[in-house]
Amino acid sequence: MVRKKLVHFTVIMAIIGFMLAIQVQTTKQPAVRDTRDIWQLRQDLKKEQQLEQQLLLEIRRNDEKIQNYLQNPAGNQAATLQETVEELRKEAGLTETTGPGVVLTIEPFYPEDYVGPITYTISPELLKRLINELNMYGAKEIAVADERLANTTAIREVNGVTKIGKKSISSLPIQVKVISDDVTTLYNHLKVSTIYDDFVTENLQITVSEPMPAVSIPKYNGQWRVRYMQTVKAEKEEK
Amino acid sequence: MWLPVIGFIIGIVLGFSTDWRIPAEYANYLSIAILAAFDTLIGGIRAHLQNVYDENVFFTGFFFNIILAASLAFLGVYLGVDLYLAAVFAFGVRLFQNIAVIRRIWLAKWMEKREKS
Repeated sequence: MVRKKLVHFTVIMAIIGFMLAIQVQTTKQPAVRDTRDIWQLRQDLKKEQQLEQQLLLEIRRNDEKIQNYLQNPAGNQAATLQETVEELRKEAGLTETTGPGVVLTIEPFYPEDYVGPITYTISPELLKRLINELNMYGAKEIAVADERLANTTAIREVNGVTKIGKKSISSLPIQVKVISDDVTTLYNHLKVSTIYDDFVTENLQITVSEPMPAVSIPKYNGQWRVRYMQTVKAEKEEK
Repeated sequence: MWLPVIGFIIGIVLGFSTDWRIPAEYANYLSIAILAAFDTLIGGIRAHLQNVYDENVFFTGFFFNIILAASLAFLGVYLGVDLYLAAVFAFGVRLFQNIAVIRRIWLAKWMEKREKS
C-alpha cells in the first residue's frame, strides 16, 4: 500500500517537475540568436572598420592640433586657437559657404483645366521630406529660400504659412540650394527620386539644375545660444 | 521517501531536455496548472499524514483541478474578467491551509518522539 502511494507521488512529482521546467523555459527570455549570414557579417564588419578609420582620423587631427598648440610660441598658439574657432564657426554655419552643388527650384504646378484653391506655400511635411531626402543623399549644407538650415532650424506652419527658422515662405517659386562633396551622386540620386511625385500631389513642381561648380549658401543669421558651455577661468598659477 | 524527489528531478530534467516551449499566450494557463498541481500534491501529503489518503480522489483531483483551473483562466480571458485570480486565490489559500496542517502533524510527531526519548 505504502509502496503504491510512493509510486503515485513519484508520478505526480514528475509531472509537476516537467510542467515547471517547461514553464521556466517559456518565461525565460528566448535566447537571441545571431541570424546574420556571411554577407551581412561582412557588411557589418566593413561598417565598423570604416567607423574605426574615421575615428582614428579624427583623433589624429586633434592630436596634430594639440601638438601645434604645444610647440608653437605664444603668438602662434592664439593663431591655432583662432583657426579652430574659425573651423567651428564654419561647421556651425556661421560663415557664407561656396562649393559644388545643385539648385532646386520649387514652383507651382497646375494642370491647365485646374479649378480650385491655389497655394502659395509649401507644406512643412513636404519640405522636411525633401530635406531628409537631400541629407540622405549626402548634402552638406542646405539653404531654403536663402535661409541656411542649421541643426536647430525649425520648419513649421504658422497661420497657414510655412516658416523656416525666421523666414516665411509666402510666395513661390523658391530655391533650395544644396552643397555636397559628391555632387554627381547627389544629382543622380535626385534624378531617380520619388520626391517629384510627392511634390506633384501638392501641386508643386521641383526642378533640379545641372551640378554647378560653385553654389553659394548664405550664413546662418540667427543667434546661437550657448547654454551648456562656460568659459574656463584661468588657473591661479598662471596669474 | 526519496522516490518522489527523484521523480521530481527526473521531471525537471526531462522538461529541460525536451526544449519545448509553449506559446507565450498560454504561459498563464500553465502557471495556473502548476499551482493546481501543487495544491493537489500538498493535499495528498496531508491526506496521507491524516490517514485519509485515497488514490482515486488523489488522481482525479490532480487532473480535474488542473483542467478546471486552466478552463477558468480561459473563460476569464474571453469574459474580460481576471477569473484566473479566483483559481490563484482558492489554490493559494488551500495550499497554506494544507501546509499548516502538515506542519502541525509533523510538529506533534516530533514532540511525541522527543518526549519518548
